[in-house]
Amino acid sequence: MNVLVAVAMALAAISSLGVVLSRQTIYSALSLVVTLAMVAVLFLLLNAQFLFAVQLIIYAGAVMVLFVFIIALLNPEAEDRPALDWRAFIGLAAVAAVTILVFVAAGNGITYNNNGFRALALQSACNTLNAGPCDPYHTFSFPVDAVNAAGNVQTVAGQLFTTYLLPFEITSLLLLVAIIGAVYLTRRAVRP
Amino acid sequence: MISTGLFPYVLGLSAFLFTVGAAGVLIRRNPLVVFMCIELMLNAANVALVAYGRFLNSQEGQIFAFMVIVVAAAEVVVGLAIITQIFRLGRELDVDDISELSE
Repeated sequence: MNVLVAVAMALAAISSLGVVLSRQTIYSALSLVVTLAMVAVLFLLLNAQFLFAVQLIIYAGAVMVLFVFIIALLNPEAEDRPALDWRAFIGLAAVAAVTILVFVAAGNGITYNNNGFRALALQSACNTLNAGPCDPYHTFSFPVDAVNAAGNVQTVAGQLFTTYLLPFEITSLLLLVAIIGAVYLTRRAVRP
Repeated sequence: MISTGLFPYVLGLSAFLFTVGAAGVLIRRNPLVVFMCIELMLNAANVALVAYGRFLNSQEGQIFAFMVIVVAAAEVVVGLAIITQIFRLGRELDVDDISELSE
């Protein structure tokens, strides 16, 4: 299983580089499809089966088809050069610094459990004391069966339609506004 | 099922995807590619949300990731409509040339 995770993560990383480095827009789009599919695989491995299906249907299905359709419609030229001036370099340096920071933080196990201890520190202390099974990332005491059931359509819908009902309904308003906006933007001007 | 030891690596992948997306927004000039890079950053955020939800035994991360997906879809629709309108005006597709609002 870890091999599958490693392959999915490596493919996602490589194809995300392809999105940025391809000169042809269509190659960027196809690389993005691979990235989204690999992110979907990661969702599946992270116990988010519903999001896996949503990711494939909405992103790979709808959004990327829209992208490819627009690319075919507009037929953009290949970029001759990227916009690399000093502002871009400052931005890239800042982004790289933040990323390295996140890497270091993630490597140190920055997640806190509900006692306020850093998870990795707790893990090492637990290993030193040899005090039974250590699972410091699990901060809430849900039973294992509940965790295994988490992420399927039933449990996600159960929360979506009870606790998060208001945000869910507001989402429908957002989609309506987006539809009206797109229709308004792309209409032909009416001659008076 | 993913083991908890892989949590830092998943977060690292999320950070990497976000960096690549941000770099693409900064250095690419084609607005279509810029939009794709924004999608990349949103997906990086989704990976982080789902990973935290998984490793903290919480379902909320997936709910928020779902909301992010919806917002991303809406954003793509409006953005691509604007891009086609810019193209219809006979403009070249270059984000550096579309700067009337800053002048």
